[in-house]
Amino acid sequence: MSTGVLMAIMAREGKIRVTNLMFIFWDLFYPLAYLLVFGVGINASLGFTTGDLNIDYNAFFLAGVLSMASFGIASNTSWSFFMDRDNGIFYEMLTYPMSRSQYLLGKVLFNVLVAVLQTAITILLAAALLGVPLRVAYWPLLALAMMIGTSGWFFFYAIFALRIRRNDAFNTVTSIFYFVFLFASSMFYPLEPLPFAFQAAAYANPITWQVDVIRYLTIGTGDPTLIAIESAAFLAFTAIAFGFAGHALRNQE
Amino acid sequence: MSDVAIRVDQLVKTYRSSGSGVRAVDGVSFEVKRGAIFGLLGPNGAGKSTTLKILTTLVRPTSGHASVLGHDVVAHALEVRKRIVVVIQEHAAELFLSVRDNLITFARFHGMRDATIQDRADSVMEQFGLTAEAAKKAQDLSGGFRRRVQVAKVFMVDTPVVFLDEFSTGMDPILKRSVMDLLRKEAARGRTIVLTTQILSEAEELCDDILIIDKGRQVARGDLNALKLASDRVYEITLAFDRLPVGYETLVDSFQPLRVHVNSHTLHITIKDEEARILSLVTALAARGHLLRIEINGASLEDIFIDLTAKGATA
Repeated sequence: MSTGVLMAIMAREGKIRVTNLMFIFWDLFYPLAYLLVFGVGINASLGFTTGDLNIDYNAFFLAGVLSMASFGIASNTSWSFFMDRDNGIFYEMLTYPMSRSQYLLGKVLFNVLVAVLQTAITILLAAALLGVPLRVAYWPLLALAMMIGTSGWFFFYAIFALRIRRNDAFNTVTSIFYFVFLFASSMFYPLEPLPFAFQAAAYANPITWQVDVIRYLTIGTGDPTLIAIESAAFLAFTAIAFGFAGHALRNQE
Repeated sequence: MSDVAIRVDQLVKTYRSSGSGVRAVDGVSFEVKRGAIFGLLGPNGAGKSTTLKILTTLVRPTSGHASVLGHDVVAHALEVRKRIVVVIQEHAAELFLSVRDNLITFARFHGMRDATIQDRADSVMEQFGLTAEAAKKAQDLSGGFRRRVQVAKVFMVDTPVVFLDEFSTGMDPILKRSVMDLLRKEAARGRTIVLTTQILSEAEELCDDILIIDKGRQVARGDLNALKLASDRVYEITLAFDRLPVGYETLVDSFQPLRVHVNSHTLHITIKDEEARILSLVTALAARGHLLRIEINGASLEDIFIDLTAKGATA
């Protein structure tokens, strides 16, 4: 696969993003802001602790905000298909010397880098400001998890962004996804005290797999066997989503 | 090395809509020689853009084959894309990027290196009158300037085949003329240019090979002279009088002209008839007034186009 084309797509995405510094700032500090406002609020008002680890809500919620951020980056990146269509550049780009798969991969690469940078900023400042413990040995795996997480959600969203022709219809779909995926998961709360039906739904939700893996890598909670299964499941989810997104892109006429 | 750049064989594209199929392209076959400027002409909905979209790998044909420089557009789409540059019909620009970055980003996709890219961008911007706008974002440009940027990209790279779908839309006449000159130069140095247009004078002036299609089917093919033969006996007559002869309308109408246009004291008549009848009309009109100038020409591309597509419509 030609790295030159991937670099060209990545450079394009990067140039478009840096034309709006506010956008970049928000992308990088959004999870930290969420943690500082929502996390600290819940922590202070409910005095949350989980299991034997006796960690506070800020530490628990760190994995949630990181996953939420990669979910958000993926959703924004897939929305750029609409922007490219509106600008007319989408169809012109489909005639550029690259395969549809390269186009998809290139489009997510820059955003994967943003996600990794965002993760680094968030965990360092969370440690400094909120006393969240650092597990430095797991950082390479955490970076990998963020890359795969952002890519998986981008490919998933791309399936819909490429099939749906109307921007407002896509916005409705993303709003529903935000609600269902984020709240029916382990992002905001532990699943153990919840009713069985809720737990079953949450464990079928790829966000739960991602959050559990990231939580294991950031604060060490979770059963390693379950984490391994969830990692494999999320990889499979990413591969399947990539396949469907590639198919949807090949069918663009 | 074959001298054929593009080969199209029995190409069919059917779009399905609410249970029924619409044949946008219906069995079109043609070849384009390397270094030719090939015009694809036809009225709205004729299938020109669909044919172009198939050739540029944007749309897959329902049946038939097409290849660009020997590479099948379906089986080896990537190989085709490496050899082409396309100006699509719709305005297309990176709105959030500057004019310069639009050109540079495009060239990077085509594998150009940074060392040469800046110089090339400078020279292309100068050719297209974009130097003063270099730092402006495309979103801050008028539609005409955005189109300039879009067409300018063609000259940033050296791909052997260029596709232009109604490239002159929104261009001012001076720039259009300059782009046409540039296209001629590109063809002279071996690039194959395929264009669609509705502006027939453009095709007449630029193309050395023309295909007219209508309702997805080939209507006529050849250079301008061959097309004039295909639509024989169509003449354009210009008669300038010191004042228009009395009763010229009845006389002209009796020859059932295709078109009549009166400009002050000058009659422009487009007519399809035998040579002898044409001369008898001119003689009869000349006898009724003081004739200052006579011109009898073979049909223009516009006349041929109207004649041939009208034949298609009645067939």
